[in-house]
Amino acid sequence: MLAIRGLRKTFGGRTVLDGFDLTVEAGEFVALLGPNGSGKSTALRCVVGLETPDGGSVSVDGNAAMVFQKIHLVGRRTALDNVCSGALGRLPLHRSVFFGQDVREEAVRCLDRVGLADRVLERCARLSGGQQQRVAIARALCQRANVILADEPVSALDPQAAVQVMELLVELANDGLAVVAVLHQPELARTYAHRIVEMGAFA
Amino acid sequence: MTMAVPKRRWPSSTVWIVAAVAVVVHVLAWQATEFSPAALIAGWEGMADFLAESLPPDLSVLGKSLEAAVTTLYIGLLGTTFSIPFALLLALLASRATTSAAWAQQAARAVLSFLRSVPDVVFALIFVTAVGLGPFAGVLALVFHNTGVMGKLWAEAMDESDRGPRDALRVTGASGPQIALHAVLPTVMPSLAGLLLYRLDVNVRSSLVLGLVGAGGIGFLINQSIKLFRFDEMVTHILVVLLLVVVVDQASGFVRKRLGA
Repeated sequence: MLAIRGLRKTFGGRTVLDGFDLTVEAGEFVALLGPNGSGKSTALRCVVGLETPDGGSVSVDGNAAMVFQKIHLVGRRTALDNVCSGALGRLPLHRSVFFGQDVREEAVRCLDRVGLADRVLERCARLSGGQQQRVAIARALCQRANVILADEPVSALDPQAAVQVMELLVELANDGLAVVAVLHQPELARTYAHRIVEMGAFA
Repeated sequence: MTMAVPKRRWPSSTVWIVAAVAVVVHVLAWQATEFSPAALIAGWEGMADFLAESLPPDLSVLGKSLEAAVTTLYIGLLGTTFSIPFALLLALLASRATTSAAWAQQAARAVLSFLRSVPDVVFALIFVTAVGLGPFAGVLALVFHNTGVMGKLWAEAMDESDRGPRDALRVTGASGPQIALHAVLPTVMPSLAGLLLYRLDVNVRSSLVLGLVGAGGIGFLINQSIKLFRFDEMVTHILVVLLLVVVVDQASGFVRKRLGA
């Protein structure tokens, strides 16, 4: 589902990734662990095109979505609008000024999938951190992603919300998605991930 | 062991040079503007005569004055409203949050800075030659100048918007206009509305000056009163202007506070 081969990335002379390989199958939940600066986030950002790798190849079988530590929803808009915006990639411009009924229905199903069917019309800024992260995951689902890349998805959350988000990510993997999560808590990785990949820092 | 103490850097020679240049420029400006407190003190009688002639205000023109004040308000209102589409389009093109092509950004910024650097009074004089004396020339002048100022303020507000939601939508495959529509604009809307109200406030005051060059409204009446040496009428007009400015300023301030912008 996701294959990364020999990924290399250097920021201003500091090597962050030097020949990184990772293969993730559908239905698999992989946790990336490692110290700061070991290139975990950079690897994910290269996959979705937020960074351009210096070398190596990335192949995604389908469509990759990203979930961020800082969540990155538009706080003033409703959960529904934020989830609908996941569909923008497949909508022509004239149909993306106002979202059509079909997109809104799909978005409501995605919100239902993450357990927030009752908060559809709530402004995101009014939701708790854990709820916001689940809205962000619903946005990834509305993108019809087969691969979900989560960059420290629970680092900003309280322990209880973190558990909810981790359980949701495992369920999505069990439903057949490929999920990769950068984590800073080894115990969460051991509890939830199917496989743990340790990344080392470069001197 | 003695630590190496960094050499004291301030005031450096650069500071001295800048200070010397600043002093010279101010002396030149003092001479060129014939700045002279003595002249002000010697001429106080002129001011006293002027005030004596203008008081008490001639309130018989109050009705006419209020009517013209409303015209001034309308010039400011239309000048602001009709500049919204142009300012929005140019701001979207000029902001690095919404436009990645450097040439498009540069072109939009050039247009905005041209519109901004031509004073509205100059635009008014130009449009008076096209559409004649009257409020319409004032509206056109404000549309042009305000597009430049508001477009720049809006572009800056967009530049400062959080990068995260933009990146998040880029990952979903959204195009530039889609990102502008669903990440940038919803985020900055309160700031844009606040800046709009601030500009409305400024434009109502500008339309007063535009009246002085023939673009109608209460500025025109003030100009007439001065030419006819009817300073008592002028004071009435000025009191009405004060009222108008305070009301618009308070109203715009109140709404901006509610917006939190």
